[in-house]
Amino acid sequence: MSGRQAIAGVLAVLALLGEAGTARAQSLEYQIKANYLVRFAAFVEWPPSAFASAAAPLNLCVAGRDPFGQALDAAAAAQTAHGRRIALRRLGERDRTGGCHIVYLGRGAQPPENGAAVLVVSDSAVTTQRAMIHFVIATNRVRFHIDKTAAEQARLQISSRLLNLALDVRGRAR
Amino acid sequence: MTWFTAIRTRGVPLVALACLAVLLIVGVFVSIAHDRAMKAELAREAGAQADLLASAVSGALAFDDADAAQDYVDAVQVNPNVLAAAIYDEENRLVASYVRAGETIPSVAAPRPETTRFGDGRLYVVRPVTQGGQTLGTARLRLMDTPASQRFSRYAGMLLVLALAALLIAVLTLTQSALRRANRSLSARAAELAEANTRLQQEMVEREKAEEALRQSQKMEAIGRLTGGVAHDFNNLLMVVSSAVDLMQRSDDPGRRSALMDGMRQAVDRGSGLTRQLLAFSRQTPLRTAVIDVGEQIEAMRILLERSLREDIAVEIDVRRPLRPVEVDVGELELAILNLAVNARDAMPDGGRLSISVRPAGETVCIEVRDTGVGIPPDLIGRVFEPFFTTKEVGKGTGLGLSQVYGFARSSGGSVAVESPAGGGAMFSLCLPASEKALPVAAETPATAETADGVGHVLLVEDDDAVAAGVAQMLADLGYTYERVSTGDAALELVRGGGRFDLVLSDMVMPGALNGLGLATELRSLQPGVPVILTTGFSEAAATANKAGFRLLSKPYGLDELAAVLAGALTARDHAKVREPRTATDDLQA
Repeated sequence: MSGRQAIAGVLAVLALLGEAGTARAQSLEYQIKANYLVRFAAFVEWPPSAFASAAAPLNLCVAGRDPFGQALDAAAAAQTAHGRRIALRRLGERDRTGGCHIVYLGRGAQPPENGAAVLVVSDSAVTTQRAMIHFVIATNRVRFHIDKTAAEQARLQISSRLLNLALDVRGRAR
Repeated sequence: MTWFTAIRTRGVPLVALACLAVLLIVGVFVSIAHDRAMKAELAREAGAQADLLASAVSGALAFDDADAAQDYVDAVQVNPNVLAAAIYDEENRLVASYVRAGETIPSVAAPRPETTRFGDGRLYVVRPVTQGGQTLGTARLRLMDTPASQRFSRYAGMLLVLALAALLIAVLTLTQSALRRANRSLSARAAELAEANTRLQQEMVEREKAEEALRQSQKMEAIGRLTGGVAHDFNNLLMVVSSAVDLMQRSDDPGRRSALMDGMRQAVDRGSGLTRQLLAFSRQTPLRTAVIDVGEQIEAMRILLERSLREDIAVEIDVRRPLRPVEVDVGELELAILNLAVNARDAMPDGGRLSISVRPAGETVCIEVRDTGVGIPPDLIGRVFEPFFTTKEVGKGTGLGLSQVYGFARSSGGSVAVESPAGGGAMFSLCLPASEKALPVAAETPATAETADGVGHVLLVEDDDAVAAGVAQMLADLGYTYERVSTGDAALELVRGGGRFDLVLSDMVMPGALNGLGLATELRSLQPGVPVILTTGFSEAAATANKAGFRLLSKPYGLDELAAVLAGALTARDHAKVREPRTATDDLQA
């Protein structure tokens, strides 16, 4: 876990760094996003049918172009959720999302078919098309929107603690 | 343990101490248990609060939302006991915190597992923040532990109750022990009292005996002091008898002899009356009060007084009636009068007049004894009733006489006073309270039996030959036959040997193993039908015989008396025979 870095509010500092720091700032942004992807696993509950067995790992898939590089490996290393090991799978542009529990839609990726118990994460840096969780940058921080309805259609339960942190939640009973 | 023994000696029972100890121990244990329970409760509540915080803050911590984390932390402030609350991330860096004044928290905390720890008056609670198995950081609370003083005040009520209970027990036990001590001393005192009472009663008995002895000695002293007078009187009587006997021997004139015999008879009667009174007076009698007429009593003493005082003293007795009866001890009254008379006699060495007057005085009857003697000096008049006070020479008086008068007056509820005018002479007035009781009806004196010729065989037991000869002559004159023995033993032998008598006439005081009373007792069981008459000149022996229920004939007695007693005894025997036929047992005994 020492390899993982979670730094709150660091983007506010990065804004002052100018052009020279842009690359580093971008890398920091994806480190955070990688972290968040791993942590989502803890705040979401999948139906038991989503796993082949009790010992089966939780598969975190990156579809399309992978923007994280080693940051995601570092974030997921030895990490667990609901007692399951988190396994990384990089799908590329054409691979199917079958067997995935979390799918990050990178550039050029196709959203998986409806009905599968898969948490689909989209990124405003890639598309404006919002999936169940949609990363955005707000006040220089990595935040996200949540589409509860879509998650529920996929038989996923998103923890209220996660919902509380979303910029907005679609389908939340108010 | 000196305090312990000190308490024990004060009488606090072991049970009470044990109760006290148990109460205190229980109290302490309850306090400790309660304190522990309170701490556990505090820890549980704090843990629950930290759990809640950890659980609520997990999202904010996971997704770096310090504001949201701060919101949760701020919510904890509602609890006033929370001194500080903080959220640390996975790297133990401070994410959000709330700190009350005076508290500090580090920005980088030492890594800790789940902790609930009391220390320096605070409660530290550390709870990991986890979500779905992922460890995200820690939530830490610092709470104010209830200060000892506050905790103590919480137990103050209970301690107060305990203290009161202890006090109550102490007071109760002390009271009880005091009560027990008081009881002990009370019973000890009661025992002492009982002992003192026993002693007192013993002393009373002894004192009674001593008083009895004193009274007797007072009587004997009085008689002793009369001896001179009595002897003189007897000399006169003997003189009369002696001269009459001489003259009778010389004269053959029956008229003259008869006159001489009358004179002798009178002299003998007077002498026997005097001795009878002296003996009766000197008899040892227990104190017994009787309702009497004082006038009669003193009249009855006339002979004694006239004969026992000196010839040169004239005795006048004057009784003024009506007199109310008084309730006194007769013997003591007689002794008092005798003492006053003797005192008067001694005050008149050259002769004079003793006048005794009895007169009623209000609710009392007063006896005034006057003499024409030397009188009493004024400086001594206040002391005459003191015991052993005497102005007489050694051997002439003990000084107890007048003190007896005083004692008698006091014990009878009366008073005694003395006056001695300057011209000489003295007057003692003894006043006794009048009694409401009536005089006892005088016992009817049995009519004197006709001096008829007697018939019967009499056993005469008498050691004195002269007396025996006289009595034998009288028996023969009365018509009885007789047999004389000189001792009780001889008499008993005679009866056992088959001698049959109609009557036994026995002296009481005789030499030999068997005295008159013993003989009478033996005869009563041997021959119940045979009457026994005892004779004696000793007053004490007479009293004993009376007590034993035997007929008594006091010496000296005359022919008439002897005839009457013999006839009475034989008549009574005959009556008994008629009324109660003798039984077989009696026959066997006979």
